[in-house]
This record gives sequence, C-alpha cells and structure tokens, in this order.
Amino acid sequence: MAGLIKSKGILFFIPLLFLCTLTTGCADKFPENKIIGGQPYSLLNQDSDSVVFPNDFKGKIVVMSFIYTNCPDICPLTTHNMQSIQEQVKKVNIKNVQFLELSFDPDRDTPSVLKEYGNIRNIDYSNFEFLTGKKSVVDTLLRHMNVVALQGDTTFTKSGTPVYFFTHTDRITLIDPKGKIRNEYRGSKTNIAEIVNDIKTLGD
Amino acid sequence: MTILLTILTLLNFHTPNLKVEGAWLRPAGKGMNSALYFEIVNNSNKPDTLYKVTSPAAELVQIHETFKTNGLMGMREVRFVVVKPHSTLTFQPGGYHVMFIKLKKDFKVNGKVNAVLYFKTNKEIKIKALVKRQ
Repeated sequence: MAGLIKSKGILFFIPLLFLCTLTTGCADKFPENKIIGGQPYSLLNQDSDSVVFPNDFKGKIVVMSFIYTNCPDICPLTTHNMQSIQEQVKKVNIKNVQFLELSFDPDRDTPSVLKEYGNIRNIDYSNFEFLTGKKSVVDTLLRHMNVVALQGDTTFTKSGTPVYFFTHTDRITLIDPKGKIRNEYRGSKTNIAEIVNDIKTLGD
Repeated sequence: MTILLTILTLLNFHTPNLKVEGAWLRPAGKGMNSALYFEIVNNSNKPDTLYKVTSPAAELVQIHETFKTNGLMGMREVRFVVVKPHSTLTFQPGGYHVMFIKLKKDFKVNGKVNAVLYFKTNKEIKIKALVKRQ
C-alpha cells in the first residue's frame, strides 16, 4: 500500500516538474527580473514626439542603451553595436523588437541634435528611437536603471563654447515585453550574437 | 653578401623613420565632436613623442585616452604620447584617440579631413583621414 502511494506520488510529481520547467525555463536563462521603478517617464524622441517610457513599449522586447552625442569614442561604438543588433534581428526575422538610446546629457542632446546624430549614422528609424527629456526626469530614470553619468570639468573653446565630458556606465539593457529588465551587457564591447540569442529567447 | 647588404641599406634609407597609417575619423555633424584614429609606425632606433595635433576642421583638437574606473568609462586629455623605437602605437576606439571638438563642417562617410601631427624629433606629419562608420 505504501509502495502504491509512493509510485502515485511520483506519477503526480513528474508532470508537475515538467510543467514547472516549461513555465520557468525562460526566466531561468536571464540573470535579471527587475521592474523599472518610478515609472512612467515622459520623454521626447528625436522628432520631438512625446514618448511615455516604458508604457509605450509594453508588449515589445526593448533593447536600450545610454549615450551622449558629444562623446566621440565610446558612445558611437555603442550606437554602432545597436545598429548591428538591429540588422541581425531583421535578418533572422524577429518581430516586435524596439531599439532605444537614451541620452544622459539632455541639456545638450535636444531632439534635433539626436536626430542629426542618427542621420549622420544612417540610423534605420523603423524601430529605433533616441530619447531625451527634462533633466530631472532623465536623471530619475537613469537612477532606476542603475546607470551612472558623472559630468566632468568644463573648459571653453576660443569661441566660448563650453566643453565637458561624462564618465559613465557603458551599457545595453534588455527589457522584456512586460517592461522588466532581464539582462545587461557592455555597450561598447558587446557580443552581438549573445544579445540576438537572448532576444530570440524572449520572443519564443 | 655585399650586394644584399647594399640593397638592405638602400631599402632602409628609403623607409621613413616615422609613418602615420590608416587614419580615419568617425562621422559627426557640424558643431559636434569626432575622434581620429591611426597607427604610428616608428622604424627608428629612437623613441619619438606626439605632443600636438591640429586641424582646420575643428575648433579644438586634443589628444585623449579612454579609461575605465569602477565600471564606468571616461575620457581625459593626455599631454603627449611616446612611440617606442621599432614599434607601432595604435590609436583605436576605446584607447588613445584625437578629439575633434566642435566641428566646423559635417564629417560625412567617405569624406576626407586634413590634420597635422607634431612630433618632438620628426617634426610635422601631414595626414588626410577618411571618415567612415565603425
């Protein structure tokens, strides 16, 4: 009798285990499962259109990076990597993916400056947006996404233009369709295939 | 043997002591910043020092290096860079680069930009850098 109960218990346990594996398998592949605090955030894109983050992108896989356009070395590498990921995602025909680059220098990175930065790099805007906004809003969002941008000393050109740079987090963040952060990668030196695979996993 | 030595001497005579190769810049709009990258090849027995770069294409030109600290990335100006004897020093993304600050014109892909590199021993080297997406 005891043996029968034991074997019945196992029979019940095996499908339960299988179901758990099915439902949590995807979640286990990602190191993060964080809600972005303080939302929603009212921002502007490169066309000065109003964007509410992350609400406007719920239901989409979001690949998000953090830049400032006066950065000539690291940030263009990140933008280039974002473009490469976008191209790969298109090639393997993964739909429902949105690419976002948030400026942590909103005082200088107005929508038109971001548009110019994108245009000169031939950005495909079909699912790619640059974001900026009020400094207080951007700073709060950066804090909730654990992105640091420290402004350095200001010098001036001969014409009196202020020149300053940031020491900053170098990151690309992957957000799932529910708006949760699922993985974080280095922005300037990143494994494109790894991110594309993670996007595929989230899309499955 | 003598002939071979003569040929080698002649070849060496024609090889410049210091060369700047593969110069390229990132695309950027007028009023924005760009970065210049290249390789400095030092064929001589002596070190040389790059201490200044000028260009008519930007309001301000500075030699910079990218650094990493506590997981953050930043840039800072460096006053000079030494190129060791018989070595190649590469200015590349994420490392040494020349900052072009407040561009006077658009740097469009496939465009060319003039610059002059100033060295302590070998004086000036004029270059024409290609704008390319990378």
